[in-house]
Amino acid sequence: MKRNPLTLVIGILLIIIFGLWLFVFQVRTTEVAVVTRFGNPTRPITEPGAYGKLPWPIEKVWTFDKRVQNFEDQLTERQTRDNFTLLMAVYVGWKITDPAAFFPKFVSSDDPIKEAERQLDRLLGNAKAAAIGRHPLSDFISASGNGTNFVGIENEILTTLQSQVQANNYGLEIEFLGIKRLQLPSNVSQSVFDRMTEERKRLAEQLQNEGDAEAQNIRSEAGRKAQEMLATARGQATEIKGKGVAEATKSLAVFQQNPELASFLLRLNALEGSLKERSILVFDQNMPPFDLLRGGTTNWLSK
Amino acid sequence: MERSIQKNGLINLLALLAVGVGGFAVARFANSLAGQVAVVFMALGILVAAVSWFQMRLEDRERLEKLELEELARTHGGAALFEAKDAEVFPAQRSREQFERFFVPVFTVILFLLQAGGASLLWRWLSRTTTAAEIKEPITGLALFGLFALVLFLLGRFSATIARLEQHRLLRPGASYLLANAFLSFIVMLGLVGVWTGFPKADFYIAYVFCVLLTLVAVETLLQLLLEVYRPRLKGKVERPLYESRLIGLLGQPEGLITTAAQALDYQFGFKVSETWFYRFFEKALGWLLLLQLAALLLSTCVVFIDAGEQGLLERFGTPVTGRTPLGPGAHLKWPWPIDHVYRFPTEQIQTFNVGFTPQAEREREPVVLWTVAHMKEENDFLVANRAEAPLVATNQPTAKRTPPVSLLNVSVPVSFQITNLVEWAYNNEKATNLLHDLATHAVVQYLASADMNEIMSHTRLEMAAVLADQIQAAADRHKMGAKIVSIDLEDLHPPVKVAGEYEKVVAAIQIKEAKILAAQGDAFRTNALAGAQAVSIVNDAIVESTARKIDALAQASLFTNQIPAFEAAPSVFAERAKMEMLVRGTPNARKYLLLTTNTHDVLQFDLQESIAQSMLSLNVTSPPKSTP
Repeated sequence: MKRNPLTLVIGILLIIIFGLWLFVFQVRTTEVAVVTRFGNPTRPITEPGAYGKLPWPIEKVWTFDKRVQNFEDQLTERQTRDNFTLLMAVYVGWKITDPAAFFPKFVSSDDPIKEAERQLDRLLGNAKAAAIGRHPLSDFISASGNGTNFVGIENEILTTLQSQVQANNYGLEIEFLGIKRLQLPSNVSQSVFDRMTEERKRLAEQLQNEGDAEAQNIRSEAGRKAQEMLATARGQATEIKGKGVAEATKSLAVFQQNPELASFLLRLNALEGSLKERSILVFDQNMPPFDLLRGGTTNWLSK
Repeated sequence: MERSIQKNGLINLLALLAVGVGGFAVARFANSLAGQVAVVFMALGILVAAVSWFQMRLEDRERLEKLELEELARTHGGAALFEAKDAEVFPAQRSREQFERFFVPVFTVILFLLQAGGASLLWRWLSRTTTAAEIKEPITGLALFGLFALVLFLLGRFSATIARLEQHRLLRPGASYLLANAFLSFIVMLGLVGVWTGFPKADFYIAYVFCVLLTLVAVETLLQLLLEVYRPRLKGKVERPLYESRLIGLLGQPEGLITTAAQALDYQFGFKVSETWFYRFFEKALGWLLLLQLAALLLSTCVVFIDAGEQGLLERFGTPVTGRTPLGPGAHLKWPWPIDHVYRFPTEQIQTFNVGFTPQAEREREPVVLWTVAHMKEENDFLVANRAEAPLVATNQPTAKRTPPVSLLNVSVPVSFQITNLVEWAYNNEKATNLLHDLATHAVVQYLASADMNEIMSHTRLEMAAVLADQIQAAADRHKMGAKIVSIDLEDLHPPVKVAGEYEKVVAAIQIKEAKILAAQGDAFRTNALAGAQAVSIVNDAIVESTARKIDALAQASLFTNQIPAFEAAPSVFAERAKMEMLVRGTPNARKYLLLTTNTHDVLQFDLQESIAQSMLSLNVTSPPKSTP
């Protein structure tokens, strides 16, 4: 029977491809690998390149990213030294340093990296609680001169975590740690909102009252200045009038030339002035010029 | 020479059985849904192959029986032997006929139920959200399914060719299932390749397609069962096995479709398109053309084009290639996949992430942004210190109820950055963008925790942006991220929406205060101006009065000087004239009563009260009308 060369070529190609997939694997420069034979780790690989292996299920390759992994833990509520409650989450940078030690501890999980982070999260819970409990709230939030103590708190958590990781030989290393979130429990947040509201109300009221007071001060000051000006003006007026009187008095000497006439004229002027408005005068017939009426033909004759 | 096809049938059955078990194990191991659905087809194939193999055995027995009887007839030459009934003489034939008459229809009904039930159950199973799991070891899975596809294809192709050339109708159903399962395994393999290359739903969708296919096969089986009732039975005509699926056959031998298409073209164009040189060349070279296409595809992986604004990292067997990293924009030669691999990164592009908020696209276009209206999808409340206020509530309150000396602030900080060192960016941190986001958030949290709320909301805002930029850049350098912070924008900095209204009221109160002060200042200006004018008036009046007094005194003195000679000349006349003039001049408005009395002893009484106004006297009051009794 004649063989189809196309089928043969496809078959050979597929066999080569399957062979490569089954017998060869690559490790990237960002990865480390552990090869297991029937489940037992036989060789860790830390250098990048292409490597051979026996096909599955005899040998199996587990690759892990050896770059710095970064994860954020849960936002957990803890108590400060001065009995305030605080929610805090940190981010942690870690990397696999010993794949042979890392592999057996986390390989049972579907995702060893996630499982390692879950384990670190558990360790972090204790380290965080211990560090927060040692510090007052002012070490976390403070606008005073000394400021906060973020670096100190982060170092405490990092040191605790690193010692726990080293003690258990997880095959990984904690590179860095930092506080990512700081929050208050919801009921405390509400009371902070209430306080902020009252604070603002008080400030608004204070400002309005300050405005009233300031306005009153300005008006009072203006009134004072006005009265001062008027008083000064009245003083000046009196002074001017005094000077006028003094000047006028100088002419009195003239009247001394004939005191009798002067007296007569003064009295006459005074009499004229006093009779000007709503005066009632009763004259008899002897009073000049009405005396001119005496002796004439008048109406009493008819009586 | 007549080939015994029983052996082929058995091999087909065993191959399907082995691949079915292996396929199930691999599909479960890799969590491949399409693989698990494909295993159902393999199971159906096992049943069909088993029944057809059993039927082959019956036919073989019948054939041997006939040969034996023919041999006996030649040896004995008598006809008495064949006088008995057929059932007694041809038991094998009888068995085969009984099998085809009763067992095959019953089996086909069972097959239909399995197909329909299987399709229904699989559909419901796939619809459950918990069914889909993350694909594990896709490379191992696709390698093994590829192997299964190859084995099934080679065996199926061989059996199908024998069945076609030697007219073995019972070998055809098993061969069809072998080829169909080879095809399905190949599709499963493509699904796993899809998952591997970043299309995680590929396997899931293929599983659904397989379900639809199984439903179609069930419908076909049902139709076959119904049509079987009305099918004319012609003696001597070779019958097609009832359980054989044409759809499965078509699926396993797609070239049948090409033949059908060629026939359609012939009919449409009126001449034998299928006999043209082009069609014949295309038919012969199709496989090679496909191979050439694959080769071209592989060769195309030898060239990589890095776009403007990008850089690439070239790795050979996972190791960065010395001297060729990073690759700049342009065309670059490399070894084909899977030897060399290039990873691209947008190094020139300004990338941005947000700290403290999640933007809301529809709100970004709003012309007015107010503190009192939420304008982000999500805004985080940052704790911020308060230098002016530290109102600790009584410490005997429960811990949770105590109000700490802090305030809350919403801060929106878009951070723009650029990759400056690709090697550091790609190789030092697994999720570099996430780490940069964490570092930026850390800097913001730390800054706010040690800053005064009122200060950063007013005059230290720019200073905050500069400090944050420096801190984030320093942190990025410390972690060897190979990134440059391009800008930090304090896009929003305001109290949370819940209390923002009160902050606006304070601003309003400031304005009210200013308004009151300005009104008072206006009043003050008016008061002072009027007082000034009044003061000037008083002084001026005094000056006038003083001047008048002086002038009047001088005038009186002058008048007096002139009156002296007159008085001295005629004292009595002067005096009398002066009196009379005064009387005329000074009493024009005085009421004067003149008493011309003759008897001086009379007593006169004057009533000097004010007289009633004349209008009152002339007041006319009408008397009321008299009533008539």
